[in-house]
Amino acid sequence: MRLFTGQRAWVVQRLSALLLLVLILLAMLALPFASPLDFSAWRALAGGALGGPLIALLFGALCAHAWVGMRDIVLDYLQPRGLRLAVLGLITVVLLGVLARVLLSLAMVALAA
Amino acid sequence: MDKPPHRLPVFLNLAQIRFPIGAIASIAHRVSGVLLFIALPVLAALLHASLRSEADFASVRGLLSSPLSLVVAGVLAWALAHHVLAGIRHLLMDVGIGSELERARASARLILVAAPALALLLLVWGLS
Repeated sequence: MRLFTGQRAWVVQRLSALLLLVLILLAMLALPFASPLDFSAWRALAGGALGGPLIALLFGALCAHAWVGMRDIVLDYLQPRGLRLAVLGLITVVLLGVLARVLLSLAMVALAA
Repeated sequence: MDKPPHRLPVFLNLAQIRFPIGAIASIAHRVSGVLLFIALPVLAALLHASLRSEADFASVRGLLSSPLSLVVAGVLAWALAHHVLAGIRHLLMDVGIGSELERARASARLILVAAPALALLLLVWGLS
């Protein structure tokens, strides 16, 4: 994946950081006005036209950002080639699992609505 | 493991090793990032469960109000606060703001103090 190595990784890290910063600020501005959620209101929010894409965007940015950061740490501290590949593979599996789980959850809610 | 060819100087008195303040902020940025990475699958699982059924929603809510999760929330609140503040510091340095040594030291000190304070605020806000 050329997109997530070298200089592009640096760009992905910065862009996702900015996006996450905006999302966090939006959440902090919106939360004081939110009422406590019950199950149906939470499902309506996550399955809605605004909430669903925002949650997907949040986790997409989190996973892209986490990939670059974890990769930097692995490349700095783990030198043996096999170990490096194994840990990078594990990180990839975890992050793809997170993305799949979130997107499936959101899709299920959106389809049920 | 090969023996080193000659005796190497060893200085591992942890009480006397002094890291520069910027190094401490940088290490904390990495540690907090790893903590947030570990939290990510848990967060995804909680999101999944909370949307699955009424009963699972209630059990997620029960789990989040347990004493253990208060400790976890405290640690993660610090991790998030430090990571975001240190990240803003880096982004500002990217565009040339505060990258001189003295100001970089001052901002490192600032975020190391501000992160626990912000975490405490987040925790109190979350509990109220």
